[in-house]
Amino acid sequence: MLLTVLSFALLIQTPQGAPRTIAIDEAFASQAHLKVGDRVTLSARPDTPADSAEVVIVGAIARRGADPSEVARGDYVVRMHLDQLQRIAGYGDRVDRFAIATRPSADVGRTLEQINHVAFGFRAYRSKDIAVETSRTFQVVSRFHRAIGIITIVASSIFLLCIMVLKVEERRRDIAALRLMGISRLSVVRSIVIEAGLVAVLGSVLGIVIGWVVSLVVNWHYQALYRTPLYFSIITPSIVAFAVALSLVLGIGAGLVASARLARTPPLALFGR
Amino acid sequence: MTAPSGASVGAVRDVPTARASIVSLSDVHRDYPIGAELVHALRGVSLEVERGDYVSIVGPSGCGKSTLLNLVGVIDQPTSGTVAIAGKRVDAMTDREATSFRLHNIGFVFQRFYLMPTLSALENVELPMAEAKVSARERNARAAKLLEYVGLGARQHHRPSELSGGEQQRVAIARALANRPALMLADEPTGERDAKTGAEIIALFRQLNADGTTMIVVTHDEDLANAARRKIHMRDGRIVQE
Amino acid sequence: MRATLAQASLIRHRARTILAVLGVAVAAAMLLDMVMLATGMRESFRELLLVRGFDIRLAPKGTLPFDTDATIPHVSAITAVLRGNPDVRDISAVLGGSLHIEADGRDVSAAVLGIDPKVQGDYELVAGRDVASADAIVVNEYLLRELGAKLGDTLTVATGFDAQTRTYAGQKKLVLTGIARFIYGAAEQSSAAVRRETLEAMEGQKRRDRASLFMVKVRQGANPDSVRKWIEGHIPNVTAISIATAIAQVDQRLSYFRQLAFILGAVSLFVGFLLVTTLVTVSVNERAGEIAVMRAIGVSRLHVVEQVIIEGIAISLAGALFGLGLGLITARYLNSILSEFPGLPMAIDFFLFQPRAAWSALGLLVASGIGAGIYPAWRAASLPIAESLRREAIA
Repeated sequence: MLLTVLSFALLIQTPQGAPRTIAIDEAFASQAHLKVGDRVTLSARPDTPADSAEVVIVGAIARRGADPSEVARGDYVVRMHLDQLQRIAGYGDRVDRFAIATRPSADVGRTLEQINHVAFGFRAYRSKDIAVETSRTFQVVSRFHRAIGIITIVASSIFLLCIMVLKVEERRRDIAALRLMGISRLSVVRSIVIEAGLVAVLGSVLGIVIGWVVSLVVNWHYQALYRTPLYFSIITPSIVAFAVALSLVLGIGAGLVASARLARTPPLALFGR
Repeated sequence: MTAPSGASVGAVRDVPTARASIVSLSDVHRDYPIGAELVHALRGVSLEVERGDYVSIVGPSGCGKSTLLNLVGVIDQPTSGTVAIAGKRVDAMTDREATSFRLHNIGFVFQRFYLMPTLSALENVELPMAEAKVSARERNARAAKLLEYVGLGARQHHRPSELSGGEQQRVAIARALANRPALMLADEPTGERDAKTGAEIIALFRQLNADGTTMIVVTHDEDLANAARRKIHMRDGRIVQE
Repeated sequence: MRATLAQASLIRHRARTILAVLGVAVAAAMLLDMVMLATGMRESFRELLLVRGFDIRLAPKGTLPFDTDATIPHVSAITAVLRGNPDVRDISAVLGGSLHIEADGRDVSAAVLGIDPKVQGDYELVAGRDVASADAIVVNEYLLRELGAKLGDTLTVATGFDAQTRTYAGQKKLVLTGIARFIYGAAEQSSAAVRRETLEAMEGQKRRDRASLFMVKVRQGANPDSVRKWIEGHIPNVTAISIATAIAQVDQRLSYFRQLAFILGAVSLFVGFLLVTTLVTVSVNERAGEIAVMRAIGVSRLHVVEQVIIEGIAISLAGALFGLGLGLITARYLNSILSEFPGLPMAIDFFLFQPRAAWSALGLLVASGIGAGIYPAWRAASLPIAESLRREAIA
């Protein structure tokens, strides 16, 4: 809250005195056409008289950190010197929170207990616990994605099985000819299963390429939409492995089901005689 | 086999009163490409077939017998020359005209019957009548009568897979007669059949012709060819002997 | 006869048909869910905002209702200004805060609304009586369970907790007179309501005559948007939000889901289309001989196409109907996941079944099924008959 000043009256100014600097985020800079070195007046309320407004200079333009709790909010962020913000916001000698870095050897749990033991009017939390709380939105979204993923897997399994059954049935005459030539049922099934496996692997490689391109587009789109450097779609080696393994299992399963059906049918019946 | 007993073919088609030409081909050529090569399937064939006639066409494989039959059956068009069936030029008909013409004037019997496997014998015979918009009641009665004519009165409700090869061919013959065609065409109707079935089909064709149906049969089967009144020999896309 | 043939063809390959119907059903279910997701949020939010008939909300300038702790000063003066507009019918000023209630030595905290029971639009009474007097309080069932209290109990409540001095600004004993369902409350949120003057008195001087939010009902026939503009012109320190603006803001925040719904819906439609096309193509290729014979015996091209299309329609229709049931079940499951979204009113449904949208989606799927059958059917019916027969004989 202290870092987020809700309303600004910004005005490009001519130099006067020795103004202090602020840092603004990229999106704000591009929206307000500001660049490093520009002077602006700043106040906590829109109706503040000009003489009590603060003149500052844009000292830095920063890229916003990846904070899940800020996604989908259109706020701009300005960073300024604490005492200056306290003054213009009428906040007195107060802050919203302290951030404490512990030494690498420190026992964070014990430090936390010690602080809370002597705390007067505040409470200390582990950063990790706060991160969990702020990323609840994302937990819900990822549970939703997982559910959608399961539905997609079910749909693609059925699709793959259907295609495999059709593909194998289309070749009933070839299979019949092979059987009549004396090729064993097992060999026929094996050759179809190998083919199905190859198709599945090739398909999943193609799928990964498409997925990678889509992921680039998704990240580009949503990073721009929500003005955040957060990644919305990440393809990890484990995801790739899972996709290939799943396609392979589904492909082999589908090939097995489809070929076993035909291999059981007498060759002459396959010829339609 | 004994000739099929039961209803007379007169019940399914009118017997012509005057003998006149029903098929007339004049200098017909048919070329088609196979790969990069142009095959001359027919090289100037002329042929007249009279109403009520029974013609067999024989010759080695690839001599153009089936191509000739396809042209007469209006499922193919000549590269040049004219084809007239029942007094009507059919060599330049549009697809729609040709379809309608086949439906009402021509009956086909194929070597491999091509019955609809999911329909019963009766429904297979009804199919062309349904297409010709014959009422359900009438087509049902007529299909039953035709099946009786070909000796399958008791097997109307059997699926093709439940019938023997000879029986299936008889269903196909009944189907060909469904819309009382002026001309019946058969392509190797006894091919791949055993001798007994072949003899049954030959007898049935004789009966059909005796009852007034004009027949043209393409065959390798000597017995079937000899059963016809006229026997035409073909070689290299030409009629070489009659 | 054509329907019989189509039916027969589908029955001939039972396993294949069942798989195709299942595939289309899953695609249909996904499509339905995505249509419900794309239209549901907005509709559900609109219904929620309109449930008590308030058309306009006033929040402190630059904020959304209850988005910050900011309040609007001079409630009585603003009310008088609003009354000056003849199109304004009802005004409900609401003060928000947090409440600490003592229960068996525990301190249970809850969100509290200070309202005027005659015009409030924030809750519906489920049991008991409304806050008729200054010492009455109504709570939601979640808070009731937290407190382990029952109607008629007297609660010791406090507001205005100061973290530095660890003291409360005001403490009071209130009688629990009613149980209410808070319309805009999130899931697992403790909520309570008292009269606004009670809350103001407890909160002390700094929140006297202040409100977090005003809700305004306009007269029948009046244009809410012109009233909104009038308010912004006459009361400079508020942001007036109409239903349309509020929906637009929610739309922007949840645009991710709408876009996701659109993409997944399109993918589902495409998958359904692909499935029917593949099935019909293979089925037609397999029957090239049969189709050629049908054409040879005089069956018209159009009738062959019709028969094949009937197959496509049958698969799509069966799949769509089956998918309708499947879609409703999965929508419920997905809704239960998204309803845990932090800070959203519990009553918001992400997946809302709207018959028109649902039928159009399923209709689109069936139409794509028809479209899927047209090309392979036309191709099969247009093959040269003699050539097909010859190829079939060779095969």
